[in-house]
Amino acid sequence: MMAEYLTALAAVLAAPFLGGILMGLDRVVSARLQSRQGPPLVQPFYDILKLFAKRRMAANTFQMISVSVYLASMVLSLALLVMGQDLLVLLFILALGNIMLILGGFSVKSPYSQLGSQREVIVLLAYEPLLVCMVVGTYILTGSFSAASVFGLERPLALSMPAFVITQTLVMAMKLHKSPFDVSASHHAHQELVRGIYTEFSGPQMAVIELAHLYELVLLLGFIVLFWHTNLVVGIVLALACHAAVIVLDNVSARMTTRWMFGFTWSVGLALAAANLAALYATGPLPR
Amino acid sequence: MGLIDIARSKSPWILHFDAGACNGCDIEILACLTPVYDVERFGIINIGNPKHADVLLVTGTVNKRSARVLRNLYDQMPDPKAVVAIGACALSGGVFHECYNVLGGVDSVLPVDVYVPGCAPKPEAIIEGVVMALGKMQEREHARKRGAA
Amino acid sequence: MGLLEPLLKISPLTLAAVLVFSPALFGVVVFAVRTKWSRKGVVTVAGWVLTLAAITVFAIAFVSRTALSATLPAKAAPWSMIVAGGDLALLAAILVIAVRFRSAMVFGVALVQLAVVLYAELTGGHAAEAAPSVFIDWLSVVMVMIVSVIGSIIAVYGLPYMKEHERHLGIDEAGSHRPGFFLTMLVFLGAMNGLVISDDLRWVFFFWEVTTLCSFLLIRHDGTDLANTNALRALWMNTLGGVGFAVAIVLFGAHAHTYSVQALLRSPMGAAASLPILAALACLMFAAFTKSAQMPFHSWLLGAMVAPTPVSALLHSSTMVKAGVYLLMRFAPAFHGTQLSNVLAIAGGFTFVATAFLAIGQTNAKKILAYSTISNLGLIIACTGLNRPLALAAAVMLLIFHALSKGLLFMACGVVEHGIHSRDIEDMQGLVNRMPLTTLIMVIGILSMLLPPFGVLIAKLAAIEASVHLPLAMGMLVIGSTLTVAFWTKWTGRLLASEPGAVHPKIEHLHVMYFVPLVLLTVGAVAFSLAVFPLLTELVEPAVTQYYALVPGAAGGVDLSTDVLAVPWLLVFGVMATAVLAPVLVARTRPDEEVGAYMCGEQIETPNGSGFITVAEQSCSLSIRGHYFERYVGEDRHTLWMSLVAASLIAGMFGSVAVR
Ligand code: SF4
Repeated sequence: MMAEYLTALAAVLAAPFLGGILMGLDRVVSARLQSRQGPPLVQPFYDILKLFAKRRMAANTFQMISVSVYLASMVLSLALLVMGQDLLVLLFILALGNIMLILGGFSVKSPYSQLGSQREVIVLLAYEPLLVCMVVGTYILTGSFSAASVFGLERPLALSMPAFVITQTLVMAMKLHKSPFDVSASHHAHQELVRGIYTEFSGPQMAVIELAHLYELVLLLGFIVLFWHTNLVVGIVLALACHAAVIVLDNVSARMTTRWMFGFTWSVGLALAAANLAALYATGPLPR
Repeated sequence: MGLIDIARSKSPWILHFDAGACNGCDIEILACLTPVYDVERFGIINIGNPKHADVLLVTGTVNKRSARVLRNLYDQMPDPKAVVAIGACALSGGVFHECYNVLGGVDSVLPVDVYVPGCAPKPEAIIEGVVMALGKMQEREHARKRGAA
Repeated sequence: MGLLEPLLKISPLTLAAVLVFSPALFGVVVFAVRTKWSRKGVVTVAGWVLTLAAITVFAIAFVSRTALSATLPAKAAPWSMIVAGGDLALLAAILVIAVRFRSAMVFGVALVQLAVVLYAELTGGHAAEAAPSVFIDWLSVVMVMIVSVIGSIIAVYGLPYMKEHERHLGIDEAGSHRPGFFLTMLVFLGAMNGLVISDDLRWVFFFWEVTTLCSFLLIRHDGTDLANTNALRALWMNTLGGVGFAVAIVLFGAHAHTYSVQALLRSPMGAAASLPILAALACLMFAAFTKSAQMPFHSWLLGAMVAPTPVSALLHSSTMVKAGVYLLMRFAPAFHGTQLSNVLAIAGGFTFVATAFLAIGQTNAKKILAYSTISNLGLIIACTGLNRPLALAAAVMLLIFHALSKGLLFMACGVVEHGIHSRDIEDMQGLVNRMPLTTLIMVIGILSMLLPPFGVLIAKLAAIEASVHLPLAMGMLVIGSTLTVAFWTKWTGRLLASEPGAVHPKIEHLHVMYFVPLVLLTVGAVAFSLAVFPLLTELVEPAVTQYYALVPGAAGGVDLSTDVLAVPWLLVFGVMATAVLAPVLVARTRPDEEVGAYMCGEQIETPNGSGFITVAEQSCSLSIRGHYFERYVGEDRHTLWMSLVAASLIAGMFGSVAVR
């Protein structure tokens, strides 16, 4: 028990550094794809530190609550994942953070952040079923929702649930606000809604959000590592490959509409998930 | 130099406002973002939102219409922040100086930290202006800290 | 323990009498003595009496750890005659109403019910005397607590509400309809208590019909045309459900030869049940679907929102609709392991998804709440259909948490409605600046329906975990839970959308009889979520265990230890509470400076709040609206086909009996 908590603590402390480097890598790779040199690898840390040191300007106090809960939910989700806890609970704690951020965006009567939040609600609706379906898939295989039980499997998840590697990549693109799914805010500087849902968060609040993003990135990649638990090196390579796919997708595609995104994930995404789940139900060791 | 100072100097986010330019200066600013100059090397991002920005780049003359907007944008930027005036117009009104609606350069409305002359200035000059502005911003922040302490 | 010993000496029958009759007696006093103060006093006292009685029941159950049961001597009175007389009197009342309001629908349905009831009376002679027998197990305890405590809180809240309500309508004290209103309300509470503690189905049916009639009276309270129409719709639908119930009674009498629920549950049930018994169970499900306003019968509950808010709060949170799901939970062991049970799960799951979907397009706060109630009841029904210990535990938890949160939300809505004279959530935009206290309570209420670590969500997760063996139901639960996020988030977003600069609003004054009930339920919703573990081990687990003792082959105790419940919820709670409180309490995280929204530098102040300058130096005030996707989720586009699907699922329930 104690050891579990200590591992979780270590992960929580290490995650921002790992996430920052990965995020920096993301920016460098994106720049190279655009034949630019790009920022230093540690750029995300500079950004976050600088934002923390800015004056605390806000439209209301709720914004600060919203970002702090957002960060807390990311940190907690990561801790729960490391502790091998229930994945379903983890997803909803993750959703809690996103919902609070959306409410923070809604809390200012500002055209851009309101529209951004409105769209973010749809983004949330678009990816949430995919995530839950993935967790259900692991249940069919292991008979348990806990992340720890995945380690009891002999076959890597990626082999029994290949479609979910694709859906997880899509989910990652949506959660990181990458093209073509960057409808509510863009991962890059700005788009037609300025900074969308983030428009009204400034200084330290933005820093908290960026920090939470680092956790989110590590968490999303952690999910994918779980797909090849038998050999963590392969798992990490798989996760990085998915991340690379997201970056390439980001650079080769244009932003699509909210409606397209929703239609796409609920048709193609859910069809993939359903097909894979059906196969698992047919063959899986679910106790009946 | 503390960690924060380093971070500040490595991550200037830009808000660009055209107060009434001929667009010549604007194009040079955009040129800074292209692969040739790639200002993201220095952590510079054109953020487009005063609430996230550190440095305000103003091009063009300030006229009666744009003065209020310029002021508003500046007020929405959280401290510490810096202002860079770019091009002859932003410095003094330039070729539009005698126009009926022109108030003058950016300094008729805002405290300007760095003046980048030229019509239009070269991208290298613009980048150097931003770097200089960062230095002044740091100095001001340090002075404020000392004053407070 | 020693202190509680005397409690055990209290006869269950005495308690039952207090729970069932004391509200009615107090109601009569309120009706007879028409002064403002007596009304306030008597309703409050009635609330206290009910609450104390419920707590006593809980304490006894807690100490004795067994179900309480007692029966009045069969010879003491002609019980069968009494209950039959009661049924017939109720039907007569319904028929009179049908004639008075010229409603052919109500008249027809009531006639059918009359025929069935008469048939039952004439053929059921061989059954035992219908002596009132009380059976209070943990499920009943939970229900009694919900009905009596939350019901009383709502009744007390109704005092200032109805006063203000009548002031709006221009009714003075002399012509006040309030005495009748509180009489009906209290009788309603008593009948609900009777329904959940009676063991004889004939008595359950009697109380069932009393709630039908009371709800009619309460819905039509304002007497407008709309109120009459909607009340009549509620009446015919629930009377139709009553027909189903009566048919079930006839079938049970003829084929199981007993009306005692406990005896029925101990007779061959589930896979071993004969066809007529299964048909009887399907009839009970039908009855429960009408009462719990499941699709296609959901329209009566939507219509019921014309009633004053305390009525809505009562119908939605603690009474009426809970009677239907209670009946299903009571009979769950009887259809354990049948195809019928699976179809029930699908039917409940369908309503869960469909109404969550329809709620997205609504701007009327009460309608959103109504859809959400129907949706949650669908979820509870799906849980009973899933029919596993974990699912039943989820159902019991949902029963409790939903009652708390929904009661709270309706009452808060009522306060807001009196404050801003609208129930449209667009008009609630920026309510945080106008009524910060109520908004805070409302937001807590909404979040407690939606987010971890609050109880409703924990129960929902447990339900999803329990549903993996029925993929279709699971798909419905997953999608339904996702859709739920949309309407709650958008509503909360409207509430919080504040004008910058108005960040330090004045806290509004609330009537003490608004304030106390609201705070009680808020604290309840949070405290019960915090105490989810004790609640689970002390209340839910015994309820589920005694339940599965009745299922053949599952009697070896119930294991609720699942992954959802293994999560360190207290840690989650702690972290989240810190995250919420830190920005409020720690000065370093509070804003240094407050600024307006970014509007491309064109922002200005206008008389109507913030605005901007547009072309030709025109100033324009900013107005923002939520997006409700009417084109995609509009009621008029979807209600019909959804109702048809739901109706065919109900037909499927009967079909599954035939083909099993
Ligand atoms: S300085 Fe020259 S290029 Fe720049 S805006 Fe003025 S006229 Fe145009």
